[in-house]
Amino acid sequence: MRNLFYIAGAIAFLGVSASASAADITSTGFDPAGAGIKTEAYISEPLPPGFSVQATELEGPVFADEQGHTLYVWPFRQMRVSTTGDRDGTSACGDEVTTETAGMMSPYPPGMKLPDLDKRKSCTAIWPPVLAKDDAKPVGNFSIITRPDGKKQWAHDHRALYISVLDKQAGDTFGATTRRSAGDGPAEREAVGPATAVPPGFLVKTTSRGRILLNEKHYSIYVSDQDGAEKSNCTGSCTSMWQPAIASALSQPQGEWTTFERSPGVRQWAFRKRPVYTYARDTHTWSQQGTDVSGWHNVFTQVTPPPPKGFGYMNNEVGESVVTPQGMTIYLYTCGDDSKDQLACDHPGSPQAYRLAICGGGKADRCLQRWPYVQAAPGATSTSRVWSVITIDPMTGLYAASGQPGAMNVWAYRGRPVYTYAGDKEPGDINGNKTGEFNGKRNGFNAFILRDDFFDADV
Amino acid sequence: MKLSRTSLGTVLTLALAAACGAPASADDTTHTALQNRTIGYALTGTHWAVYQTKDGKEECPQGVNDMGPREIFNKMFPDLGPVEKTQLARESATWYPMDSEEKFPFHTGQSKKGIGLNLDGKVGPNDLTSPDGTPGIDNQLGRALSCVRFFRGPDGIGFHFTDVYVRQNDYNRAIIELTNVDSLTNDDDVDVAIYRGMDALMMDATGAKVVPGGLERVDVKFGKKFESHLKGKIVNGVLTTTPKDVTWPFAWFGGVPGEQKFKDFRFSMKLTEEGANGLAAGYTDVDNWYYSLAKGRSTHHQSYGTMSAPGLYQAMHRLADGYPDKNGQMTAISWALQLPMTQVFIEHPQNTKKAPGVVALSGPEAAH
Repeated sequence: MRNLFYIAGAIAFLGVSASASAADITSTGFDPAGAGIKTEAYISEPLPPGFSVQATELEGPVFADEQGHTLYVWPFRQMRVSTTGDRDGTSACGDEVTTETAGMMSPYPPGMKLPDLDKRKSCTAIWPPVLAKDDAKPVGNFSIITRPDGKKQWAHDHRALYISVLDKQAGDTFGATTRRSAGDGPAEREAVGPATAVPPGFLVKTTSRGRILLNEKHYSIYVSDQDGAEKSNCTGSCTSMWQPAIASALSQPQGEWTTFERSPGVRQWAFRKRPVYTYARDTHTWSQQGTDVSGWHNVFTQVTPPPPKGFGYMNNEVGESVVTPQGMTIYLYTCGDDSKDQLACDHPGSPQAYRLAICGGGKADRCLQRWPYVQAAPGATSTSRVWSVITIDPMTGLYAASGQPGAMNVWAYRGRPVYTYAGDKEPGDINGNKTGEFNGKRNGFNAFILRDDFFDADV
Repeated sequence: MKLSRTSLGTVLTLALAAACGAPASADDTTHTALQNRTIGYALTGTHWAVYQTKDGKEECPQGVNDMGPREIFNKMFPDLGPVEKTQLARESATWYPMDSEEKFPFHTGQSKKGIGLNLDGKVGPNDLTSPDGTPGIDNQLGRALSCVRFFRGPDGIGFHFTDVYVRQNDYNRAIIELTNVDSLTNDDDVDVAIYRGMDALMMDATGAKVVPGGLERVDVKFGKKFESHLKGKIVNGVLTTTPKDVTWPFAWFGGVPGEQKFKDFRFSMKLTEEGANGLAAGYTDVDNWYYSLAKGRSTHHQSYGTMSAPGLYQAMHRLADGYPDKNGQMTAISWALQLPMTQVFIEHPQNTKKAPGVVALSGPEAAH
């Protein structure tokens, strides 16, 4: 009965009368011209037997093991106190179950008992090492390291490789993301894949909107609607704002990249035949500010799948966020524990004590009031893998069995439930943004920002 | 990484200045910043106005607070224990600060002196007197913060970094534009607009000092909520404005955007051609202000300034002096901010697209 009460409350919240005008909510953030683009080109490299490259919705092409599981590395990283992650040629992810905090995050000391110890798993149970057969031989950038117990483990670029127990199918990347995250978040793993096929001087990076094309200094690349195929119509004063990406005389076409002569002796790069530029008025790296100029666009090698039907996008003081059909901002929850293993605590298969502390002061009912789940309508389905409907027990936050009394179907992004914030009163409010430990980066809630003009994509 | 656009800004500034029309009046013939009866200023720093003496004994006779998150944790949990009962209990206290009364003293300012403005036009028993002898000063937030190292200058980490973040972060770029200005000395009717700017402040060659004459584009796409329009007057070079509720960009931490929702906001600023300096003051909802701080300064960062967030919240409620609820409980607290500004030229962008413009290029589409 109590559960039903809170479910009803959550439903009532979803039906709040607050509504944004049609002009404020954008139904899609993506140009239909990009709808068919799912993958990006990459540079092939020799792979161990059975390994493959898999296309993914968020991360671009990634390496996969014999079963198609995405491969991850655990980058070595400095924390507030001490360091963690894998040094080159070694694995710090062990078979023993850690029971105490490591004290890596000030101001709390080491030695506190971790939650749910009766169910806690070892690092390798969550991140199984990609073991190599005894007779395996190094291949290209893939080498073999020796684990502390003597077993052999594949490494790429000298970094030990793992898979995630959260990934079920080839192309899943639920374990971790390559999306930029600086500051005091957990020491995250990263999906690893082949180099993107771009000429020297260009990069492709993961954002929430897609795989964005940047120059080597991380400034955004743009294209113009006024240009033709391998023909620039940006001349004269236009070039003071839109600086052509100049190709050297020795540059050669490669894959989707070509060059053309924009003026005698001056060659410009084109991607998929469209001349590319940087924008002089970009005040930040990873910017999307140039898209505000009519006819100009950022370039994405692939775009992320759109959110569920009816969801939209809305501007706020930070940028552009994903919102519910009522215009209320969607929040993502991030959590990593302070053990030496730095295990995730942000999904319904992990300890919920961290989330409950922030959202409800330890009380589930207050969580449901202040940070309600975004419920899925009956029969709702997702057209992508990155968005899904999952069934949870709202009082515990853990997965629930289908048909379990009080179970709730909620929307999830990357397998993690998404939320709204009761403190948001008007459509587009982001009053809950950065709530939690270390500005919400370590154990807390952040608005789902698709475009940020201020933080160099570190959101 | 932040792009320096100084050269571009300088060029555009000179172009804009050259394009501007003749000065407003004969009185302004020597002016270069007041153009077309308009002048702009950009915020270059900010401090919560806290009255403090050199040794602190007048305002904090019991000393400054020495029980921050680290000290409180060590006292409460000498034997540690489960994460839920220790670390997460303290984090819970940050987000639900009224769940239990803090067991450790939180000292607030005891001096009858304070920096700020008389918001209600009255001289009440809890009001303060400014250092120049003006009675009736309403700044109870200043009292709440007075004995917290974090907020005390010049070396309190909050005092220091709120300044730094104003200069570093353009999501924190408060700008004001005065229009219908006949004179910067005396004018009984001017319009004051508050915006968020988009551009980096123009610095001198050392990179350490903000110089006047820079260009600021108004952020009309993402900064709309920060736009407010006030009526004001200038008397003997001091701008004062009528009270109005405004939303003001305010970041407590780098990479963490923030805002303050101020009630009855007003300026009292000395104006010159090169800049403006003075106070803003008003009331703020206690919860809004507190959660803005909690989101911006994590427990770790609060530790630098021995600041107990739950202790501060409870003190703010004790000192709250505005906007009573139906039970008579005050929900807002008076405050003042010290605001140095530098002169800028303000550009109002045109033709900004409303819809997001994102395209993923495909071969066939690109070919046409």
